[in-house]
Amino acid sequence: MRFTRFTMLGLLAFLAACATPPPVTDRDALAEFNANNDPAEPFNRAVFAVNQGLDTVLVRPATMAYRTLVPSPARTGLRNALRNIRTPVILLNDMLQGEPQRAGNTLGRFVVNTTLGLGGLIDVADWYWGVPFHNEDFGQTLATWGVGEGPYLVLPLLGPSNPRDTLGFAVDIATQPLTWVGSGFEVSLLSGLRTGLGLLDAREAVQDTLDEVNRTSLDPYATLRSGYRQGRNAAIANRDRGAQPAR
Amino acid sequence: MTRRGIAAILLGMAALPAHAQMDTARAASFIQAAGNELVGVINNGRLSAQARREQVATILRRAVDLEGVGRFVLGRFWRVASPAEQQEYLRLYEESLVRNLAGRFGEFQGVRFELGRTQSRTEEDALVSTVVQRPGQAAFNLDWRIADVGGQPRIVDLIAEGTSLRLTQRSEFASVITRGGGQVSALIAALRQQLAQ
Repeated sequence: MRFTRFTMLGLLAFLAACATPPPVTDRDALAEFNANNDPAEPFNRAVFAVNQGLDTVLVRPATMAYRTLVPSPARTGLRNALRNIRTPVILLNDMLQGEPQRAGNTLGRFVVNTTLGLGGLIDVADWYWGVPFHNEDFGQTLATWGVGEGPYLVLPLLGPSNPRDTLGFAVDIATQPLTWVGSGFEVSLLSGLRTGLGLLDAREAVQDTLDEVNRTSLDPYATLRSGYRQGRNAAIANRDRGAQPAR
Repeated sequence: MTRRGIAAILLGMAALPAHAQMDTARAASFIQAAGNELVGVINNGRLSAQARREQVATILRRAVDLEGVGRFVLGRFWRVASPAEQQEYLRLYEESLVRNLAGRFGEFQGVRFELGRTQSRTEEDALVSTVVQRPGQAAFNLDWRIADVGGQPRIVDLIAEGTSLRLTQRSEFASVITRGGGQVSALIAALRQQLAQ
């Protein structure tokens, strides 16, 4: 029963770290508390502080090294390839969201870029046919099905999230066929490489924004909480970059 | 024309107020002009980084409704603040906003922008969308919210990839004040400290 006791202990620590809502008499403060939807704020802030520390000593230096060592055209090619590899997940979610046209774009891009784009390294579909990349994930699909986001969460290492997006993230991994392909040393190595490069690439894309937030915000935690929500809402409504008509 | 397109136009007509406070054509030409001016300065290789930032700041002071944005960002705490605090806050906020934006824009060498679709959103303001491109970087959407301030078009919000500057900052400032015991002076102190750096 050691596991259960340990779990209980963790749960208690979590509950003890929950924020106290303002009194009902302070209506503005209460409205704001509800809008922030962050009942576990003290707990989240603690995880955030650990993440920020890891970021300074580990993640940011790795990102900067990646930027210095790998020239921009190679990074672009890698990003294109990673996006191409992600096709099954995007396609599935396009379909689950009832977006046949976007699903068609995803499939067409995959065929064109895998062949003419040399295995996905060159985004021919975008620059020649004007069909730009768009992303989708299962967290967005759940949102279009009407599932609420739940309370704000800061995950260790991964950062801003919520129960809906955390579940979505797990489903994305499970619905990526490559997760289940083969076994053995070489396959594990390649799959580890893909995950590592994927994280590095995702991080590189937002590094300037994060630097800006850390440099100018008086409370980076609050800024990122608001920014994460707004960014996700834009992505759910397909108002993010990939949703725009081609140039 | 699709049925959805026609429906959108009908809806758009129904939503039009009797006198549009800010018509989209005016908003778009305002952003075209201000944007060209900004890009001209940012891409002027003969200017030092310092001179570039200063000239960008001058354009922003003219084009942005600094007081309006400042009041919006302080939100419900504007009423709580004393007149002296309101004044001091606005002074510090305007300086901080201009400095932060000028610093950011100043780094955008080689930047190009294109006007996207322009949509009128509310009775009071128009949203002008642009696509910003920098060499070797992914393009991003930057939307400008334009309102009529004293008869002149002015920028009241910047929305980068769906994230509104003024909404994000309002959340940030509310957090600073709440954690500072509900005192606007806590925010003023934090702003002052940041500007002193």
